[in-house]
Amino acid sequence: MLRVKSPQDFWAGVLFICFGALALYLGQSYAFGTVTRMGPGFLPTVLAWIVVGLGAIIVVRGLAVDGTAIARGQLRPQFFILLAIVLFGLLIERVGLAPTIFIVTLVASLASTEIRWKEAVALGIGASVFSVLLFIKLLGQAMPAWTWSF
Amino acid sequence: MDMFANLATGFGAAITPANLLFCLIGCLLGTLIGVLPGIGPIATIAMLLPITFGLDPLSSLIMLAGIYYGAQYGGSTTAILVNLPGETSSVITCIDGYQMARRGRAGAALTIAALGSFFAGCVGTIVIAAFAPVLAGFAEKFRSPEYFSLMLFGLVAAVVLAHGSVIKAVAMVILGLLFGLVGTDTQAGVTRFTFGVSELYDGIDFVPLAMGLFGFAEMMGNLEKRAEDRSQTQKIESLWPTREEAKLAVPAALRGTLIGSFLGILPGGGAVLASFASYTLEKKISKSRAMFGKGAVEGVAGPESANNAGAQTSFIPLLTLGIPSTPVMAVMVGAMMIQGIAPGTALLTERPTLFWGMIASMWVGNLMLVIINLPLIGLWVALLKVPYRLLFPCILILCCVGAYAVSSSTFLVIMMAGIALLGYTFNKLGCECAPFLLGFVLGPLMEENLRRSMVLSFGSPSIFVERPISLVLLLMSAALIAIIVLPSFRKTREDAFQE
Repeated sequence: MLRVKSPQDFWAGVLFICFGALALYLGQSYAFGTVTRMGPGFLPTVLAWIVVGLGAIIVVRGLAVDGTAIARGQLRPQFFILLAIVLFGLLIERVGLAPTIFIVTLVASLASTEIRWKEAVALGIGASVFSVLLFIKLLGQAMPAWTWSF
Repeated sequence: MDMFANLATGFGAAITPANLLFCLIGCLLGTLIGVLPGIGPIATIAMLLPITFGLDPLSSLIMLAGIYYGAQYGGSTTAILVNLPGETSSVITCIDGYQMARRGRAGAALTIAALGSFFAGCVGTIVIAAFAPVLAGFAEKFRSPEYFSLMLFGLVAAVVLAHGSVIKAVAMVILGLLFGLVGTDTQAGVTRFTFGVSELYDGIDFVPLAMGLFGFAEMMGNLEKRAEDRSQTQKIESLWPTREEAKLAVPAALRGTLIGSFLGILPGGGAVLASFASYTLEKKISKSRAMFGKGAVEGVAGPESANNAGAQTSFIPLLTLGIPSTPVMAVMVGAMMIQGIAPGTALLTERPTLFWGMIASMWVGNLMLVIINLPLIGLWVALLKVPYRLLFPCILILCCVGAYAVSSSTFLVIMMAGIALLGYTFNKLGCECAPFLLGFVLGPLMEENLRRSMVLSFGSPSIFVERPISLVLLLMSAALIAIIVLPSFRKTREDAFQE
């Protein structure tokens, strides 16, 4: 029975194979061309095969050689950080910079277990004011401070 | 001598009270914005570009030079303080600069970076003035095969420099190259891997990619640790390097300057290659190789000087051949075009005052940088004392605004979240992101030059060994590979990267 001896290597290899396979799948439709006249599919296909090949070697090594375990992750920081970034993207054009920054700061603060609510609210307000002054007033970035468009 | 007469003309044009003021303001703003974590030199210059529009060409170039150097130094500052490289050339500074900061030597690292950069900047300026015409001749010998071999060398160097497993680093480089190919294939006019998203037609944007892979991945990793393990909680000792540190830093800075001045001239990412090469060299010749990766002074002084000398001399291909050799240079070309200046051979012959004035302004920009930043290092270091729970939301919003401001695209912000998750996964799996990033930057350039070489040689790969410069570069790459494979080096390398 096969046993994964190095989870880091094994899963890294799997990830590389997945990326390579995805590139091969998406790249099927691009013309390959010849060595002299390389088509748009030439290099992507070659590179994707190399990635798949290297991934396979890494998987085999993960099965054969003992190695590092994957450090346990925590869901909380990842979830709130990613949520905060996505929220920024969704809100910036709908409600403007100031409210977006306030909301995003609060959501991001949730990522840390050391969150103190009063502090987070104060930081949110401070960051909103500072961002509007810096990015809109000082740097003249093309984004509204306030708006409402859903 | 001709060179001095030319430089005198340049300084005469550049040094007026008004221009000095513009340079000072540019430098100050450049550092201020550039030092904000997550906003690299490219984003900084792009953001500050509008304020130079109203000035006459020379003043605006002088202000831009100030912004450029300020942003560059600001980028090194964030690399050292919070492990966020603003662009590829400061990726190397992160390795040892950040480790120095963790050991409480952030002040010394910043001072060394500032002084090393200033020295390298001075030398770089002289090199440009003295050798611009001569070196342009050499750079002109570069055709596609040479470019390709040069980039290959850079990628091999990236693999040597990566932590941990070599094969994973190679896979990361190749994956980076693949990511770099996303976008429109200009030669065939076909879009690749874009899923029909118009924001991807010009390729994956560098800014959200770098922020996601480095900034956010690091942030999520940091938040998982308990407060006391965290990198931000060390105390800061003196701002000045100790005598021992200075003794290590000075020769490293000299070597870095030399490497940087030379490699910067080669179009195609001079500053990046220079910092990589300098780091490799310092590590190779160091007596205490085990210190590398743990806060070696030479690992900051060498690459920082190399990077700045390279940043300086990478103006040579731009000014003489009109080729922007780095993403930052591409932004500079945009700025010059707005002022009605077309960089290229005609600049030197048709507008000598502007040409030499610009070279003089580079030196002035470097001087301003030191004048402003030495007293302000304390302020940048004080940033470290802010508790992490307050710092990371600020970094997060700055990265978001930065990613959004690149092209006012919400897609890029959301894509950044995806890349952040990817970067976090790579870290968990022990895959280093620096080789990936270099592969990403070089991907499209390599493809273009490979194609051209193959057209030139009618499909025969022997073209790469038949041309002498290309052959030398390939032999250098082969030597690097041999070094990694040698068991004795492997052991040292593994020791060096043990954390």
